[in-house]
Amino acid sequence: MSGPGTAGRELQVVATEHGWAARFRAMGSPCEVLLEGGTREQASITAAEIAAEAWRIEDKFSRYLTGNIIDRINTANGAAVSVDDETGNLLDFATTLHALSSGRFDITSGVLREVWTFDGSDQVPELAAVESVLARVGWSRARWKRPVLALEPGMEIDLGGIAKEYAVDLCVCIVRDSPCEPGLVNFGGDLAVSGPPRRRKAWKVAVEGVLPDSADHLIELRQGGLATSGDAQRFLLRDGIRYSHILNPASGWPVPNAPASVTVAADTCTQAGMTSTLAMLEGEGAEKFLEREGALHWCRR
Amino acid sequence: MAAALVAADAGAIEMSKYSRKNDRSVSVTLAAATCALLGTGVPAPVDAQEEPKWDFNTSLLYYGEDGDRVQDASFKSIIRRLFVDDRSLSVGITVDTLTGATPSGAIRQDTAQTFTRPSGNSAYSVPAGDLPLDDTFRDTRVALTANWQQPAGEKGLLGLGMSTSKEYDYFHLGLNANYAHDFNNRNTTLSAGIAMARDSIESVGGAPTPLSAMLDVGDVSNRNGDQDKDVMDIVLGVSQVISRDLVMQVNYSYSYSDGYLNNPYKVLSLVDGDTGDTLPRTTPLPPDGGPSGQFLFENRPDERTQHSLYTQAKYNMDGKVLDLSYRYMTDDWEIDSHTVDVRYRWPIGSGSYLEPRLRFYTQSEADFYRLSLDSAQDLPAFASSDYRLGNFDAITAGLKYGWKTRNGNDMSLRVEWYTQSGTVPGEQLIGNQAGRDNYPDLNALIVQFSYRFSR
Repeated sequence: MSGPGTAGRELQVVATEHGWAARFRAMGSPCEVLLEGGTREQASITAAEIAAEAWRIEDKFSRYLTGNIIDRINTANGAAVSVDDETGNLLDFATTLHALSSGRFDITSGVLREVWTFDGSDQVPELAAVESVLARVGWSRARWKRPVLALEPGMEIDLGGIAKEYAVDLCVCIVRDSPCEPGLVNFGGDLAVSGPPRRRKAWKVAVEGVLPDSADHLIELRQGGLATSGDAQRFLLRDGIRYSHILNPASGWPVPNAPASVTVAADTCTQAGMTSTLAMLEGEGAEKFLEREGALHWCRR
Repeated sequence: MAAALVAADAGAIEMSKYSRKNDRSVSVTLAAATCALLGTGVPAPVDAQEEPKWDFNTSLLYYGEDGDRVQDASFKSIIRRLFVDDRSLSVGITVDTLTGATPSGAIRQDTAQTFTRPSGNSAYSVPAGDLPLDDTFRDTRVALTANWQQPAGEKGLLGLGMSTSKEYDYFHLGLNANYAHDFNNRNTTLSAGIAMARDSIESVGGAPTPLSAMLDVGDVSNRNGDQDKDVMDIVLGVSQVISRDLVMQVNYSYSYSDGYLNNPYKVLSLVDGDTGDTLPRTTPLPPDGGPSGQFLFENRPDERTQHSLYTQAKYNMDGKVLDLSYRYMTDDWEIDSHTVDVRYRWPIGSGSYLEPRLRFYTQSEADFYRLSLDSAQDLPAFASSDYRLGNFDAITAGLKYGWKTRNGNDMSLRVEWYTQSGTVPGEQLIGNQAGRDNYPDLNALIVQFSYRFSR
């Protein structure tokens, strides 16, 4: 297996005021693990386990790598692929989200990126181009009967919308079972804690604002996870209309009036991430959805 | 469980529509699916909140001395803006309205007395046997403060501030800086602070020449212009977490004042060396009025150095907090004081508490404190009969009730009684003074309502 992800995998562990901080890169994001307990040696061991877990998940589920299960599914050209338990669990989870969102959360919608590039330009694709790609989108057209998945030829799946949050939660379990508890696992802004910190009231988490380096909210987290959907830098602007990078897989077009970003706090990072994603897909109704669900949220428009 | 969640699409969309009508149904399904995915048990519920950005602290205070003496109604509001990385700016405003009478410093007499008002424009009289009170005490004070706080390095906290206040006859301008550093896993904090102030005393009618006589109405020949003083305070402190339930603090403070430290409105009675009665005026009373006797304006040294040591222990007993403190203060005016303050916070129900408080204070008199000036002897260089420089004891007893409003804001009501009683040293009593009540005892009621909210 090879790809850009495996190059330069380095792990740094440094002492901080409250314990230890480990830093590495995984899943295209800077990753940080804060550990309050244990010795330097224990912290290094725990951090290494966490980094290994993050890299394992990246290797296994990244759509940019060849030879992994995602690659095998996406290149099967209509043939059925038998998947392992973990992949099966993620596909089941994706199926539930697809249902919960009336089809708006769709792991097969990634191919729309062939026509949509959100680089701040005015390059809005032709209607016909969108229509032709849309023919290859739709989780309801996939035949998923655990443990076998068969996609129609030309279809692809992408678990990138779930994998990072999933990795955070698995890594928090590693912290919880280590002598370095309590700790915080932060993969590119999606994070969770194993419990309240030792000597402070709460972990303080800054949620980035629209402008780089501007923190918009400061959240005190004692238990649970936090995730943000949306990226204010990724959009298209044409004829005064702002096209967000949140695509509706039913139409192939951006969800109108989606918030610039939605941050949600929930029991787990996965739950927080999926809730914020579902809220983005609601577009105009994002806040209403979050209110109705009683989610702890911070919406930015 | 995971298998059960795999539903045919058509049905799932139906379920989704159904879910729209029900609160939290998406969350509930999502939580179950997440549990299945992660293969863990039910996670602990999320505990998160946005750190408040604004903090508003407002209080209304009434302070009233009995016997028509000083009444103060005070409004105070502090607005604090919190920024990322523990930086904050707070701005405060206080408005005080003071009215009432305050002892002039002259002694009681068996006959009625008259005095020229501080303005020099008119006179007032005091009935025989009464304590001479100057009833022209009326002022509005507006004070502003601004403080900036920010971390300095990983373990330091730096604060910079300024204060200014204006009242009719006083102007204050101050700057302060403080730094606190955590050690020993934040169990120990060392702090140091410095404050400098420049105050202008813009006395009504002009500051009188020290130890000069109170003159007749209209005569301002002993009045001088504005005066000023400089004050520097230094505080060094250490606070230590002794155990999970006990925190202790020790502070040493040094204060140095330099300049005009007199109270421009206070006088002393010049008395007969045998009878102890105030000497009568030597000239006939003019038509516009003037003092009935001989009164000299006070004079204090123009420097004062104070040292104080403060220790505090806070002890948490299953949510009930005992707060015990003691302060010892000594200065080169020979005033020594001791303060013991005990508070006990007793939670009742959720968010409410009762906090009884008892405070004892005792001080010895300044070395230049005099009840009166003996005309048979040379005038001392310094003399003041200000009762606050005398030998006295004070007790404060109070009760505070605090509660949380329905939207999570803090309110509290504090009621306190203050009583102060003093004695004039026996060797200072001359003749008839021995039979009189010389020290103006004081009783006051303090009521404060506070409201605090964050957003």
